[in-house]
Amino acid sequence: MELALKKLFYVMPLLFGIGFIAPLIAQSMAYWDIVGPWGMSRIGFGLLIGAPWGLYAVLRGRWI
Amino acid sequence: MDRPHDDGRLLTRDSAVVEHVDGPAITLRGRDDLDQHVRRDLRRQELVVARQFMGGRMWPYVAATAICFTLWLSFFPLAIMGWLNLPLAFVLSSVFATGGYVTSHEAMHSNIAAPGSKSYWINEWVGKVSTVPIVFPFSMARLMHLEHHYHCNDPVKDPDYTDEAPNALMAWYKTWYNRQPGVDGSIHAYKRVLAEMGTPDAARALKDTMVMQLVFMAVLFTMAWSGFAIEAALLWWLPRHIGLSYVRFYLSWAPHHPREGRTDRYDNTTVFKSRLGHVMSMGMETHMIHHLYPNIPNHRTRAAYFALKPILAQRGVDVSAL
Repeated sequence: MELALKKLFYVMPLLFGIGFIAPLIAQSMAYWDIVGPWGMSRIGFGLLIGAPWGLYAVLRGRWI
Repeated sequence: MDRPHDDGRLLTRDSAVVEHVDGPAITLRGRDDLDQHVRRDLRRQELVVARQFMGGRMWPYVAATAICFTLWLSFFPLAIMGWLNLPLAFVLSSVFATGGYVTSHEAMHSNIAAPGSKSYWINEWVGKVSTVPIVFPFSMARLMHLEHHYHCNDPVKDPDYTDEAPNALMAWYKTWYNRQPGVDGSIHAYKRVLAEMGTPDAARALKDTMVMQLVFMAVLFTMAWSGFAIEAALLWWLPRHIGLSYVRFYLSWAPHHPREGRTDRYDNTTVFKSRLGHVMSMGMETHMIHHLYPNIPNHRTRAAYFALKPILAQRGVDVSAL
């Protein structure tokens, strides 16, 4: 249980990227009436940014 | 209970100093030309004055907690129903998140109600509720804050030492940097210290921290994927970051900078003049009084400082800023 929680918190930035940043990007685009680039849906674009960004934060230990 | 006797220990520590002014447990810094009799006399005078400011009306802290927390909670359903002025709610949520630490801080020292009293549950309730917006469990906050008092400015033992920075700009930056996932600062340092403590209280605080962080994430993810990501960001995520940075800067960096080598009772806190004033700096200009007497509530530290100023000056404290 403790190990599972540790692993969960370790990958939390990735989950945060998918679970929060992606929909936040999509809904912000919708708010300002911005369409997704290259024919992508807004949430698709949000995931394209959020998931790699979260993965970067997991691997590097920094968001920027 | 969250170590209700900790504040007793702080008081005991203060009392012990009266009995053994030159004892080895606490280093009392004083001017070199003050002999132990003068120091003892100053300490007695100090206590007489300080006692006048201990306690007082604490119900405004309770009322503020109840009102602000209720309002903040109500923002969520109101936002979902579209009945909320989101920019205004964002500003208020940021104020609640930041100010909540002040009310919680009083509870950490059991200043709202004493341990063992009938109304002690109110003290604990205020502590637990106040820090929900910044996702800072009271059990952890209290343990770490008392560690900060016991080992103020000790580079290894003071859990807040990671806030140290060479200047104000770097200090603001560090409030953000220390929250990065791989950095041993802020809440990450707290988690490490709790794990190292290994006591039942520390284990419970660690568990509370994990539960609270998981709930926070679950709420954010659920709201975001239900179409309310902007609302979640403006009501909780951003206010939390603003609150944490503000609290770290004004409650940790500003009153203790520079930290290096300043571990003495009269030297570990700086009296400073804030550009934003006493209220906006959350009463931290006179944070020294809080470290000398944690049972003087935050709203009375300024008056206590001016009453104690001549004695502190004789002690060798730099009181030139205020």
